[in-house]
Amino acid sequence: MRIWKSSLYPIGKILFAVAAALLIISIFFPWWGMTLVAPQYPEGLHLVVYPTKLENMNDLDILNTLNHYIGMKEVNGKDFAELKIIPIVLIAFAILSLLVTFTGKMKYGVIVLGLLCIAGVLGLYDIYHWLSDFGMHLDPKAPIDYKPFIPPMVGENQIANFHTTMGFKLGAYLLGLSFMLMVIAAWRFRK
Amino acid sequence: MNGVKKGWFTPLISGLLVGVLIAVVFFVNFKQLNSANNSKLGANESAAEKTYVPPGKLDTYYLFASGGHSGNVFVYGVPSMRRIRTIPVFTPESAAGYGWTTESKKMLGKFTWGDLHHVAISETKGEYDGRTLFATDIQNNRAAAIDLKTFKTVDILGPIANLNGPHCAAFVTPNSEYIFLPTRFSAPIGHEYADVSQFKEKYKGVMGAVQYDFNKKKLHLAWEVMLPPWSYDLSDAGKKSSDGWGVMSTYNTEEANTTLEVGASQNDRDYLVIFNWKGIEKEVAKGSYSVINGAKMFDPVKTPGYVFLVPVAKSPHGVDVTPDGKYYISSGKLSPTATIYDWEKTFKAIKNKDFQGEAKGLPVIKYESVRHKEVEVGLGPLHTQFDGRGNAYTTLFIDSAITKFNIKTGKVIDKIPVQYSPGHAAAAEGDSVSPDGNYLVALNKLSKDSYLSVGPSHPESLQLIDISGEKMKMLYSAPADPEPHYAQMVKADKIKTIEVYPKDTKRPNSVWKEKDAHIVRHGNKVDVYGIAVRSHFVFDAKSKTPDVVHVNQGDKVTFYITNIDLDEDITHGLGITSYNENMEIQPGETNSFEFTADQSGVFPLACTNFCSALHQEMTGYLLVKPK
Repeated sequence: MRIWKSSLYPIGKILFAVAAALLIISIFFPWWGMTLVAPQYPEGLHLVVYPTKLENMNDLDILNTLNHYIGMKEVNGKDFAELKIIPIVLIAFAILSLLVTFTGKMKYGVIVLGLLCIAGVLGLYDIYHWLSDFGMHLDPKAPIDYKPFIPPMVGENQIANFHTTMGFKLGAYLLGLSFMLMVIAAWRFRK
Repeated sequence: MNGVKKGWFTPLISGLLVGVLIAVVFFVNFKQLNSANNSKLGANESAAEKTYVPPGKLDTYYLFASGGHSGNVFVYGVPSMRRIRTIPVFTPESAAGYGWTTESKKMLGKFTWGDLHHVAISETKGEYDGRTLFATDIQNNRAAAIDLKTFKTVDILGPIANLNGPHCAAFVTPNSEYIFLPTRFSAPIGHEYADVSQFKEKYKGVMGAVQYDFNKKKLHLAWEVMLPPWSYDLSDAGKKSSDGWGVMSTYNTEEANTTLEVGASQNDRDYLVIFNWKGIEKEVAKGSYSVINGAKMFDPVKTPGYVFLVPVAKSPHGVDVTPDGKYYISSGKLSPTATIYDWEKTFKAIKNKDFQGEAKGLPVIKYESVRHKEVEVGLGPLHTQFDGRGNAYTTLFIDSAITKFNIKTGKVIDKIPVQYSPGHAAAAEGDSVSPDGNYLVALNKLSKDSYLSVGPSHPESLQLIDISGEKMKMLYSAPADPEPHYAQMVKADKIKTIEVYPKDTKRPNSVWKEKDAHIVRHGNKVDVYGIAVRSHFVFDAKSKTPDVVHVNQGDKVTFYITNIDLDEDITHGLGITSYNENMEIQPGETNSFEFTADQSGVFPLACTNFCSALHQEMTGYLLVKPK
């Protein structure tokens, strides 16, 4: 394979360095979030997912209280082992990207890209898994009998009186941008 | 060089000027500018437009009106005059569970009512700071502090030793150093028995100086001043150049002890009592006091130089210090004049010992040396408020009107009738060093025929007046329960409330998770550490019936309930049927009540404060097993 044996031009190396930096920066920004708006909550309830934590714990308490009406399990930051693993994985990817920068060897780049693809798919599946886990396993004895549902990962839906908007946030876009930079480097700036 | 400069400078400046001219001609609304000069509120707006606050919009001022013998504080929004809250202070109120919870029961003590006459917002540098509202109870000699973050009474001090009816309280000093409580009734110290025939010798007037610890939210008595057996009516603190001084009005210098209506109306002149509180504070610190019933009592006759008398027209009621602190205004309610006194002249007279005699061992300052102006205001002048533009507004009880006059010149400018007899008035930020000068609320003591009839006793009235222009304008009339005696109006943005109590997991007796709710039993003592959340109670998480409390007849039961709904306006309550127990638990709050389970049987309990669609289902049981 030519790409496996090829090396990078300086500009390609820089792109990999920038990509590494973006991976680290994305740790400090939210990746995914949802906003729920209802007549009683015109300012909205916000749940924001960082790669390390869930934020707006106060809103999360309110959400949990409201969710119990339809029998949804309690959402608790401590239950998500991913929040401990993700930052480590990100740092590992950043180190690999820097390895590409320093050696200029595209074989490391291919490994990073390949692993990133796998991690991305796993990540997306993880979100889907949680959404379906929370949405599909509703307590049948809940006060409000609500049909189990899977909220969309990106988009809007209506749950009772709540209009919910879900989507990726800045951290996820930084991650995407990082991946794009690597692809561009591998595609355009390799010899 | 000069030529070059001129080359770009002239066209630039002329271009700018043309631009400004065009902007002025096309965009400035001269009509609006003019009306803004005439009246801040807009001269061409109708009274209805000036007071209309559309649904969803907020008022610009809070009005805190003392509720008189209702023992409450009424909170209104100005200019809409919508009543937005009643704060229970000296009287139990079941909607808030005030008077049933452990804490409020302790604050109220043995009393079930009080006569809340004056309110005072705490001040910093003479400005209302919106932190705390103080109030006093004439009937039972108490002082209270209301936290304006939560609009809840946080402390009640009293009955305070040696006081008998602190009518002219509360008034605060410019940095809230003290709240003074001068008393209306003279009586022997400590309610000791002495016949009224011994009035002149055995009866005394007393002023209490109370301090408030803003951090601990606690009131305490600092010291008291022994005064002659007269009736002390109203008071105010000096400010700016007169800071450190206070003034109160007094009637019944005749020392009548029966049929006061006639007996206390004989002297042509009564007195204002001028006192140097900073001086007295120092004397007390040095030890110039005697301890009477646990209070440090300062005697101004034994330690002269701090308390003086100034003659004032017959039976004075109000006395008010002007915003600049240069004058104090008082009027005899049985004389048609208001007198403007000069603080500077007062200090000079004291220094020069310019006295016209002595009464009860206290020097009387020569009236002519301290008077600035005498103003013919009208009949029955009571209280004065200010607009910050050099004008004063005095209520006329007998004339049923408000007079506006200039403080400097003493010239009467305008007079406006109100529906029947006004007592106090409250101007926007009116007791501070910088009144806003746009609104005045006249608090009417009688409001015959102003509202739909509710039988022989008529609603009282608060009337909103626009004082932003040269002439006063009546804007609105709002009914009130008896009796909105006195009020203060504070800018809405100075009040910073919290919406939810902070989640403090270290708070004693609090439980924050449903699974941690539990019951502790020690002999016949049962402590319930429960939670309230939409829409259920959990008293004992490990029980199969988590919302049922089992006790034995005769047990001493305490419910500590934490509302773990940390959400705006999700307040819960807990009432137990037939047990006369009730409390409110605001979001994030822990509240408690305690009782002896003396009746055996089954007693349903329920959330009393509507909390959600399933509020009706938020119930449980107290099961009391018979002996």
